Amino acid sequence: MIDWTGGRRLMLGALAGLGFGLTASAAQAELRLGALFPFSGELAMLGDESWRGLELAVEERNAAGGIRGEKIVLVRGDAVDNNQAVAEARRLISVNSVRAIFGTYSSARSQVASQVAELARIPYFEMGAVSDAITDRKFRYLFRTNPTARDMAARSIEMVTNAVAPALSVEPKALRVAIIHEDSLYGTTVGRFQAALAREHGLNIVETLPYPANIVDMSSLILRLQAARADVVLQTSYQNDTVLFFRQAREANFRPRAIIGGGGGYSLRETMQAVGQDVIDGALNIDFTQFAINPAAAPGIEAFVAAYRARYNMEPRSGHSLGNYVGAKVFLDAIAAAKSFSADDIRAAVAAVDVPDGQTAEGWGVKFGPDGQNERAKMMGMQWQDGRLVTVFPPNAAVSEMRLRR
Amino acid sequence: MDTFLQLVLNGLMLGGLFAIISVGLTLIFGIIRLVNFAHGELLMAGMYLTWLGTTKLGLHPYVLAPPLVLVLFVIGVAIQRFILQPLLEARDAHVQIFATVGLSTALINLALLLFGADLYATPAAHVRDPIMLGPFRIIVGQLVMFGAGIAVVTGLHVFMERSFLGRAIRATAQHRAAAQLMGVDVNRIYMVTFGIGAGCVGLAAALVAPVYPTSPTVGTYFVLTAFVVVVLGGMGSLHGAFIGALLIGLVDSLSGFYIAPDLKEVVIFGLFILILLLRPTGLFGLGRGSE
Repeated sequence: MIDWTGGRRLMLGALAGLGFGLTASAAQAELRLGALFPFSGELAMLGDESWRGLELAVEERNAAGGIRGEKIVLVRGDAVDNNQAVAEARRLISVNSVRAIFGTYSSARSQVASQVAELARIPYFEMGAVSDAITDRKFRYLFRTNPTARDMAARSIEMVTNAVAPALSVEPKALRVAIIHEDSLYGTTVGRFQAALAREHGLNIVETLPYPANIVDMSSLILRLQAARADVVLQTSYQNDTVLFFRQAREANFRPRAIIGGGGGYSLRETMQAVGQDVIDGALNIDFTQFAINPAAAPGIEAFVAAYRARYNMEPRSGHSLGNYVGAKVFLDAIAAAKSFSADDIRAAVAAVDVPDGQTAEGWGVKFGPDGQNERAKMMGMQWQDGRLVTVFPPNAAVSEMRLRR
Repeated sequence: MDTFLQLVLNGLMLGGLFAIISVGLTLIFGIIRLVNFAHGELLMAGMYLTWLGTTKLGLHPYVLAPPLVLVLFVIGVAIQRFILQPLLEARDAHVQIFATVGLSTALINLALLLFGADLYATPAAHVRDPIMLGPFRIIVGQLVMFGAGIAVVTGLHVFMERSFLGRAIRATAQHRAAAQLMGVDVNRIYMVTFGIGAGCVGLAAALVAPVYPTSPTVGTYFVLTAFVVVVLGGMGSLHGAFIGALLIGLVDSLSGFYIAPDLKEVVIFGLFILILLLRPTGLFGLGRGSE
């Protein structure tokens, strides 16, 4: 029995080698790609939002005939924690024989899953994880379209010096800046870059306070910020700690002149609702491109929103879907342009991608550096105004003036 | 000095929050001798019910406390009767503990299925308004939790000391076999005890929901601290748990300010180990020799 199947496979291989079309059975008319996101567990919501962007890009591609006549089939893997991310990456590669893996939203899970793919020589396309360490390893088959923690920190410091200080009519050096961040890899990375960049710009940092993301009481931390008389607070956080910070800051009557947040915790409508529209009003936020942006600076964003509404019957819950959509389109175009579906041909096609600045629906362009990181990726500066998260920085992408309490 | 006193005040109020969550756990721990890993998820379930009651029925969260105590009591009795009791005769008593771990995971994922990973905020209804005491601030909801903590501990103490059922519960805790020989229906006692423990969580949920956002994993944020409080206070000691909770609250608040927010867990658990080394039965434990 074993001999028979072995022999059959050998024969099919031989036929394919001879160029007969016989092996193009139904099963082979599809291009399988892995989709690795946290679909359950505490990151499930933004994991799912990220997945929707990829799904839309693939459905759009399939509607246009797929890639070289082959229908793209996404195989989902649930990266519920680091161990499972590894296990699911292995399954996608060895059981489902995917040609590439797309993901991952969570930095820690991307870090471990991409290692599996690299060893198996399967391209790994990251469209959402922000940790710089992922591309610092200079993997051969790893590419990332989205901006990183360093880009986030750079934009937040840029906003302090180029937007907040001028709006308050003070020198940037006169502002008392506090950096607070959750203490996992994500918050720590952004916090460190912020501290380093702030020092470079000669800003006055009065406190740097890491805290665990599952913190249940932030009153002591807020008292420290009050004691340090912080004017500007930079917070890198998830959702729970964002809600807690705003609630407890209000309860302690701590009113800094500007709060600049970073990441998913600040961008979600649920956060705004949980905190209260009046309480979060005026909070600034550095994040991936969101939807209230000047469409001239992000061509294609309106079409994306229309497609999202039609497909999911609701408004996008955050910009993660858009980021994954833009990233997935870049990679799918590259796969279509590759000579074959082999890892090295795909890699060569991705490395050759060159999209000028301001030409994607994210507002940035695409050009991969030798480490696989998109060097043209940038974050946007936003503000909560009257219950809406609107882009206020940089000026060419802004749809509203920044408002600060003077 | 003002800052120090505000920190102490914040710490005591945080202690009240830990206390109200830990009371039910210490009861189950002390009487049934069961480490209930699903405790946090019962809290989570109660918080979702509070959210539903406030947003769908327009009720004040505190009005929901009595019905929640009842609902959680019934859920607690059911868990003991249908999940834990059948495992009582298992060869290894630890099987029950694993069952609660499984229940915990199942409940978290059930919540994910029903509500998604979104965060739900129960309307505050003035519960988060501050009260000014001279230069100091307290949140109304925290004061209520503190008071409720004292009331529950006192109430349960009186119930355990004075009532017939309370005496039967204590007898079962002291010596299960002897109590059984005296005609105590141990299985019924366990069901009632688990029910009361879960009922306490129902009260806690109604009080915690307006001050803390609800998510599927909210229970895991509190449950580890609750275990520390229970062991610190002396397993099964109700007033011990209350004092232990205040102590943890104070340490949390002071170390968060004077040391660093990310190191406060190190301080809490360091203190925890130290106390266990010096007094293995906890601050108010019965000492060696109790079952």
